[in-house]
Formats: sequence, C-alpha cells, structure tokens
Amino acid sequence: MGIVAMHRISKIYERQGKGTAALNQISFEASTGELVLLLGPSGSGKTTFLTILAGFQKPSSGQVSLFGKNIMEYPSQELQYLRARHMGFIFQTFNLMEGLNVKENIMLVTRFAREGRNQASKRADYLLNKFEIDPLRSSYPNTLSQGEKQRVAVVRALVNDAELIIADEPTGSLSALQGDQIVAFLKECVDKERRTVIMVSHDERIKHFADRTFYLRDGSMELI
Amino acid sequence: MIMMMTIVHPLTRFVLTIVGIALCALLMLFLLSIYKGVSKGSVSYVRESGADLWVVQRHSTNILRSSSLIPLSIKPILQKVDGIKSVSPVIFILSSVITAKGPATIYLTGYDIKTGIGGPPAIVAGNRVANDNEIVLDHSFAAKYKINPGDNLIIKDDTLKVAGLSSGTNMFVVQYAFISLQKAFEIAGYPFLVSCFQLRLCPGTHPAGIIDVLQDKIDGISVFDQQTFLTNNTHEMESGILPLLYMVAFIGAVVLAALLSLILSMHVLEHRNEYAVMKALGAPKGFLPALIIKQAMVLSLCGMLTAAVFIFPLLVMVEKISPEVAGQSSFLHVILVLAGTGFICLVSSVVPIGKLRKIYPLDVFK
Repeated sequence: MGIVAMHRISKIYERQGKGTAALNQISFEASTGELVLLLGPSGSGKTTFLTILAGFQKPSSGQVSLFGKNIMEYPSQELQYLRARHMGFIFQTFNLMEGLNVKENIMLVTRFAREGRNQASKRADYLLNKFEIDPLRSSYPNTLSQGEKQRVAVVRALVNDAELIIADEPTGSLSALQGDQIVAFLKECVDKERRTVIMVSHDERIKHFADRTFYLRDGSMELI
Repeated sequence: MIMMMTIVHPLTRFVLTIVGIALCALLMLFLLSIYKGVSKGSVSYVRESGADLWVVQRHSTNILRSSSLIPLSIKPILQKVDGIKSVSPVIFILSSVITAKGPATIYLTGYDIKTGIGGPPAIVAGNRVANDNEIVLDHSFAAKYKINPGDNLIIKDDTLKVAGLSSGTNMFVVQYAFISLQKAFEIAGYPFLVSCFQLRLCPGTHPAGIIDVLQDKIDGISVFDQQTFLTNNTHEMESGILPLLYMVAFIGAVVLAALLSLILSMHVLEHRNEYAVMKALGAPKGFLPALIIKQAMVLSLCGMLTAAVFIFPLLVMVEKISPEVAGQSSFLHVILVLAGTGFICLVSSVVPIGKLRKIYPLDVFK
C-alpha cells in the first residue's frame, strides 16, 4: 500500500437542499518518492481532494488511508502530530505568520513536532542555506517578495523531514520563473530524499516535473 | 514570540489594553489601600488607648457606631474595686465646628487632661491639650480645612485654640478631636454623663474577674476587655465599609474580565487565519488555548506592573487632594491583586478559547 491511498471517495456538498458532488468515486494511491500532480480548472474539486487526503474534512463515502492506516482510526491528537511530524503543507497564499520572522516561521512547525530545539535549528539553517534565503532569516514576511515567501513556505514544509508534502497551488501567486524554481526544488526533494509530493494546480506548464499527472474534472479523475 | 505576535500588534491597542487593565488593577489596589488605611485609622484610638477594660452602657459594644451614656457618679464605685488602678472617664460627642472653609463635623472626645488617658494616641504637631480652651485636631482634618496649631476653631458658642495635631485619629467619615472633659461637659450640656470609662488594672490582675465583679455590682453597664472591645470596633468598621468596597472591587473585576475577554476575542478573530494555519500545520491540542492564556497573563502582568508603579504616587496625590482619605498600600497588596488579576485573566480566557474551536484548518485552503 502507498503512503497515501483513497478508495472510492465521494464528497457531496449540500447547498439549498441540493447535493453537488465535488468528488465522485475517486480512487488514488501515491507511493514513496514520487511527485503526483493533480490538474484541473477552478471548482473542479482539487482542494477538496487535498483536504480529504490530509484529514481536514471527511468524505461523504469511501476510505482514506494515510501512512498505512485508515485516517478515521487516528485519534485527533495523533493526526495533529502526524501532520506536524510527517506531513508538510505548502499553500498558494504562503500563510506565513506576519508577526514572526523567517527563522521563527520555520521553527514553529518543529515545536509542533516536538523536535529538539538545537537539532531543528541546525536543519532549518541548512535548508535556509540550500534555498538561498539564509540572509533573510531575520526578515519579516511583509518585507519579502512572493518568490521568497514561497521558498520560506517550502522550507517550513521540509524542516521536519516530512515524508509527505501536500502543496495547494504552490505556483499560483508566483511568476512563471519563480513557479518553475519552486516545483524544481520539490522535484529535487522527491528524487534525492525519496519524499512524496502531492500537488494540485491549474498550471499545466509544470506537468513535466510530475511523475504522474491526473486531471480532475466534474469530480472525476483521470490519469494523463 | 508566537504568544506576543498577536497581542503586540497594533501597538496602540496593546498600550490602551495595558492602560485599561492597569486602571482596573489600580482601582482594586486603591480600594485595598483605603480599606487598610481606614481599618487601621478607625480603631487605632482604641488599640493604642492603653486601657485594660472598657466600661460602656449596657448593649453598647463599640464607640464607632453605638451611643453610650453612663453616669459619671459610678466613677467612685469603680475606683473602690480591688485590682483597678485608674478610672478615666471619656465622653464622645459628634459635633459641628465652624472652619474657614465652612462647617464641618468632628468626633469630639473629652478626656482627663491631667492624666492624659483617653487622649490622642500621638501628637504630630504642636502640643497636647493643656487647658479647657484648647483642642487637638486630627492632622488630616486640619490639612483638609487648612487649620494649623495656634488657629482658633468655633464650636457652638466657644472658641477653642488649636493646641496640636494628632495621628491615628482618622475614622475616614469623621475625625477625632480632643478637648478637656470639663469643656466636653459644657458643650454637651450634661455634666453628669460620660460615654465610657477606660480602666487600667493593677499588675497581675485578671481582667475576666474584674468584668464579673463590675457587672454584678453596677446595673446598666457592659464591660469589655481591651481585645474584645478592639474586635468589636474593628467588626463594626468592617461591616460598615467592607460591603461597599467589595461591591466596587467586584465591579472592577467584572470590568477587567470583560475588557480582557473582549480584547483577546478580538485578537483571535483578527488572527483567525494564523490560528487556522497553526491548526493545519499540526499545532497540538492544548497549544493554542495555552497561547491565549499566556497572552492574558502577559497583558495582566504588564497591567499589574503599571498599576504597581502608579499606586504609591496615586495614594500620595489622593491624600493631598483629600487628606482624610488616607490609604496604606503594601507589597502584599500588590501580590494579592496580582493573584486576583491572574485569576480574572484565566476566567477571561474562556470566551476567546471558545472562539478557537470555531476556527477550522480547512479555512486555510479556501
């Protein structure tokens, strides 16, 4: 079984007494060391797919397995620890803490993962250096460019050695060049460090980075 | 850092919050100081009288809020009882005086100026009463009405010269003033009645035995030992002033809790996306509520420290504006109010912590 698996997942949103299917009987599996890209237009259910996969909402039917265990069987505290320790998140709007500087933003998740401060700090320094944002370590998010913010967000997702990276439109707020750089970074993590990246995007330009690409339309998913 | 990030920005609101908390804490500290000042001042006359026994009219238990009239004629009977060393009559009259700033009320205390028993506990300026035409005023009363030793004071048809100023004689609502027993009889208009007798016992005499003897021998009196009489007066003072102070302190505490609760709730709502992100990134269950509690603690500590800095200058200022309001603050008060403020902060964290529950990590993906 893969690091994450979805079996016959459906998600129906009730609006004004009428059900709308965001996902319809989707089955999916991702293995260690691959970058999976999910493409689709706005409103196609990409974000619903990601949030169900990460356990932020329940499917209407079907089963999700995360790290080999049915996600419903995780107690909420264990699921939170799993997210902090074994999963990394990258968002379209970066979602950095405005009141914390770059290093503090990165160290925040290491606190959630209850990592040793010294070891976490060393790893954060290594990643800051690797992603060429070391000079920005004391800068606050409002002083950074969009590309710099997203690099900080990527470092934050990687700092705990997360096995599974979930990226929601990571290139959506970036220029084409910046977007390519970020996805290239992620691809490098997949290839060199055997991480799994599941990325949703509407940007078809980046599909050449993916090991597998799916297309989501009207709640159904197909491999392309 | 995470704790501070949501409360310090914007700085103006942070400062205003601290000021608000400081004012509430200052109010509580001020009330405690007033209570201590009043409770000490009100009964220090009794405490420092040096009397072993107090003889008052039957059913009268104190000199603060209870009238007592007993005949002066029992003095020889008291003097003849074995074990009694001295008998000092004292008369209390609530009286109006004419000052340069207008009429005022004093608690005239007539005592035997030859023995000095029943007189002012301490003189802070001038001298004790030396003759029937002199008066000693409480120093806060004198400060309020700008009276100095050597000035004259009109009481009814008499003009008395201010011989000195006393301390430990401020009862907050009214202040003691001391005159000779003879002058008190003239002012009261009844030379055969006094308010009480202060008795001093011979060394080795047991007060309880004397109390029994006196109550058997003389009708219409109550006799108390010094400690019981002090307790009675303290209780009387507390029952008069404490409910009011408690009510105002309670209102202050409620205002503080509401203020903190509102501010912290506002912070949570304003930073809801950041809280949602922290939830999404795997913040442990108790992490965010603990963050709110720490924020409340930091705010209360800053407010308390501000209040602690200002309480002593405030008391000095209040005493200058209104000398009879003599507060006494101490480090213990600061600790007490700090503990109280800390408790209020915990209580006020409940609402914002409740608001955290309605912030979902899913919101981050929208």
